[in-house]
Amino acid sequence: MDQFEPKIVAFVCNWCTYAGADLTGTSRLKYAHNVRIIRFPCTGRIDFLLLQQAFAKGADGIIVSGCHPNDCHYTSGNFHARRRWMVFRQMLENMGVEAERIVFSWVSAAEGAKWADLVNETVESIKKLGPYHKYQDMAKSLEEWEVTHE
Amino acid sequence: MARIGVFVCHCGENISATVDCDRVAENASGLPGVVHSVDYKYMCSDPGQTLIKEAIKEHKLTGVVVAACSPRMHEPTFRKACAEAGLNPFLCEMANVREHCSWVHEKTESTTQKAKDVVRLLVEKVKRNEALQPIKVPVTKKAVVIGGGVAGIQASLDIANGGHQVLLVEREPSIGGHMSQLSETFPTLDCSQCILTPRMVEVAQHPNITLWSYSEVIGLDGFIGNFTVKIRKKAKSIDEHLCTGCGLCTQKCPVRKIPSEFEQGLGTRPAIYTPFPQAVPNKPVIDKLNCTYYLKGRCKLCERVCPTQAIRFDQPDEIVEVQAGAIVLATGYDIKRTDFFPEYGYGKYKDVIDGLQFERLASASGPTGGMIRRPSDGQIPKNIVFVACAGSRDPAKGIEYCSKICCMYTAKHAMLYKHKVHDGTPYVFYMDIRAAGKDYDEFTRRAIEVDRTKYIRGRVSRIYEKEGKLVVVGADTLLGGQKVEIEADMVVLATASVANPGSEELAQIVHVSYDRYKFFAEAHPKLKPVETNTAGIFLAGACQAPKDIPESVSAASGAAAKVLGLFANDELTREPLVAVVNRMAPPLFSTCIGCFLCQPVCPYNAIEREEFKTRDGKLLKAVARINPGLCQGCGTCVALCRSKSIDLYGYSNKQIYTEVSALLDEALV
Amino acid sequence: MNKLKEKAKELLSSGAVQVVVGYEEGTGGKIRPAFVSRPEDADKLLYNADCHHNLALYLYKHETKRIGKMAVVAPPFVLRSILILTTEFQLEEDSLVVLGVTPEEELIEFANFKEIETWVNQHPIGMKEKDREMLNRLNAMSRDERWQFWQNEFSKCIKCFACRGTCPMCSCFRCTVDYNAPQWISVGSHQLGNFDWHLMRAMHLAGRCSVCGQCGEACPMDIPVHLLSFQINEDIFKMFGSRAGLTLKKESLLSTWKSNDVENFIR
Repeated sequence: MDQFEPKIVAFVCNWCTYAGADLTGTSRLKYAHNVRIIRFPCTGRIDFLLLQQAFAKGADGIIVSGCHPNDCHYTSGNFHARRRWMVFRQMLENMGVEAERIVFSWVSAAEGAKWADLVNETVESIKKLGPYHKYQDMAKSLEEWEVTHE
Repeated sequence: MARIGVFVCHCGENISATVDCDRVAENASGLPGVVHSVDYKYMCSDPGQTLIKEAIKEHKLTGVVVAACSPRMHEPTFRKACAEAGLNPFLCEMANVREHCSWVHEKTESTTQKAKDVVRLLVEKVKRNEALQPIKVPVTKKAVVIGGGVAGIQASLDIANGGHQVLLVEREPSIGGHMSQLSETFPTLDCSQCILTPRMVEVAQHPNITLWSYSEVIGLDGFIGNFTVKIRKKAKSIDEHLCTGCGLCTQKCPVRKIPSEFEQGLGTRPAIYTPFPQAVPNKPVIDKLNCTYYLKGRCKLCERVCPTQAIRFDQPDEIVEVQAGAIVLATGYDIKRTDFFPEYGYGKYKDVIDGLQFERLASASGPTGGMIRRPSDGQIPKNIVFVACAGSRDPAKGIEYCSKICCMYTAKHAMLYKHKVHDGTPYVFYMDIRAAGKDYDEFTRRAIEVDRTKYIRGRVSRIYEKEGKLVVVGADTLLGGQKVEIEADMVVLATASVANPGSEELAQIVHVSYDRYKFFAEAHPKLKPVETNTAGIFLAGACQAPKDIPESVSAASGAAAKVLGLFANDELTREPLVAVVNRMAPPLFSTCIGCFLCQPVCPYNAIEREEFKTRDGKLLKAVARINPGLCQGCGTCVALCRSKSIDLYGYSNKQIYTEVSALLDEALV
Repeated sequence: MNKLKEKAKELLSSGAVQVVVGYEEGTGGKIRPAFVSRPEDADKLLYNADCHHNLALYLYKHETKRIGKMAVVAPPFVLRSILILTTEFQLEEDSLVVLGVTPEEELIEFANFKEIETWVNQHPIGMKEKDREMLNRLNAMSRDERWQFWQNEFSKCIKCFACRGTCPMCSCFRCTVDYNAPQWISVGSHQLGNFDWHLMRAMHLAGRCSVCGQCGEACPMDIPVHLLSFQINEDIFKMFGSRAGLTLKKESLLSTWKSNDVENFIR
């Protein structure tokens, strides 16, 4: 069997996790290359629809990460985000979505090593789960619809 | 059509060692909309920047992507370079191929592929970037300082000396605050009033300072540079322009037994009064709750004796609106009173007093003329016990923090006592001696070694009265918790410093956050200690946390420096990365339906209600509006809005949605 | 129910309200919403267990507001909707007379919304046996089975948006689904578009749903979409101890937070 390389998208806030991932770089810590980072001002800015879109576009896993509680640059964006994710994650469970493919984490600007570990562990866990065929098959319906509605 | 330029940096070998930069550039040149794509050794160098500037002109670029280090490092550099070449700086984005790519991966095909992907993502984003103009807001160069203690005084003087107008608002009839009540100050034992009163007079006489005493802030609107402050000037019942401050009325007032706030209840004052002889302004006010005329409708003795006919019984409270560019909160602190300590006698023993009361007893201008006499019978106590940490650092009391000033003032009290009562014995119960500060530890050592204060490390469990003595029961933890009983003539509790009553209400009026102890919250505990989360509102002194005088003064000068920095500009320029609620033609006005669920989400109270009305004033629709002066651009409201009526410049729905979509368009790994 | 008719008549004849929004019998014996503006028509008003329309829907629409001041026949789920809509500034207390009706079909009058708040807190709404059974069934399924269940159900969806149209909480006049820059939710009624739509709708109702079940009732394809909201409503109660529609305080679940919100999945 071919080695499965999962596609991972990371939604991170500018002030903590993005800076933390910068630190991983300046510390020259190595991690798996499967992740693509999208920068947000704050975890509070992350619309759940973007997570739906990431899965629909073929992501096998998603990382969502921001400042630790009480460390938010905007004081409370991460608290809002946390509550939103609590509900969203439960909603996904209720609809049968593999919610563990979304890894939520707090990574501060000082936690370069934690970022490397987080990516590596996420890649490993998604490798075990395999490609998210169920969601991707569902997403194919869009392409088919587009073909018939050209 | 988009004309995007891509500039791939080698960063010496920092990027090119693991990423095939020329292939990244080559790949980018094939992306839709990209008209120019090059790689270069050092993009941030002068020649590198010139490369970008020339390409902008030559290829008429509408957007630039620099694939290099982290945008947190060089985004300002490249945006500036673009601006210099005539391209709006917000049309420049950086693809992070160093910190997030070349430095964290080995040299493999996947690493180059990742760099290509990241560039593609930013190309897609930048195509949807908008040219943004910095937000400019005018600055009203006048500050309102709330609270006239030592912090408020210092902040006012510093701002005024910087050449700007200050309105100092004080709740009490006089400025001075708690510092004016103190006898002598640690660690130098100079007299508090001797160093403070000249500053108070300077405030009164300063051409740039307007002092409104007996006044309170009751409303605040607007934002940094443009506040409208609503102030209630309480009726003093005198005409300040006519009053000369001769004091005849205060001498003749027949009501004389009102406990004096300034003397902490150890002395009395009349109904028409100045709080203390050196008060600023030194003009009396009538305490309506205790004045015979206000209570019973007759007396008016003060009116009869006033040589300038300055008494005005019918004077109303006045509500005034003031424009200001900055606010300094300097509302100070309070202390817990003895009634907070049932175990120490519920405040039922007259000779168990608090630290501020002791200050008055020790003060030369105090009720005993500076003699240490106990309140019950005026005797001079021969054994005196000071209890440090009364309430502080005590989770059982709900106050877990250290009140910070008590260790020092308790040592000072013991010294002052010993200097006045040579044959007396001072005892101090303490938990730790926290004397970190210039000359502080030396000071406490002096209290112990020179003035022979008996320090007992342990807490006091109870105080009871026995045969005219106050028996203080405690433990000496240095003797293995051995029980200690001291028969004292007087006990002084160094009660916990707490937020001023009313601080929560004021915080809500001016929209600043506060901690669980109701002290005002700083914007950042280390790096923004005098700023609040509301731009343009600053903190000075003990309203933020317990502070001693030098710390309060430093914070006040810090806050003043921030205000002066703000006032150095005629206009404020802010990054335009703010949220905005859409607008459209009537009758819709906006897709916003005005549910205002976004309002509590905003940490900056930037979301306002905008009402559209007919010409005759009938409300057609109310929708949300984001004040660009207050918004900091976190975007939490944007993600919450169900109808997608809010968007965020710089991280717009279009931009981010496209990023997510573009990222996975191609084979990723 | 004579009391209800009398009260409606009285309100209309006195001019206290210009229209009473209530229920009447329609064709084929089916219950439908009624808009009564003449006292003599008040006799057709009725209330029984079959009255499932959430009339709160009409209380903020221009078409009904134009008629004048309203009274509304309000079973418990309408009462809850009224409270939610009030906290979201879509209703004003002084423009509405609320004629509460209990499950025992008794009329209760409320002097003000505060009284409604008190009443709904004292009278929890039970779930219908059928819905309770379905939720139990769904919870007993493996996650993959649940996925399959909803995939099957959503495959029937024709994106007619009846669920949205009948829900008083879908108060936006431009829904995210109508937005095309970006196209958050694909227009077509294919598997992905349907899934995205129902997930988004359920999220936008989380913490705001009065659990009337009308979205499921309205679905012409018999998709039990209301169960998504019912289930998350139960989960939210477990996680945060709150239910929507029980308070006049402006503290919608996802607009607020607590520093001690407890989750078990953030690393």
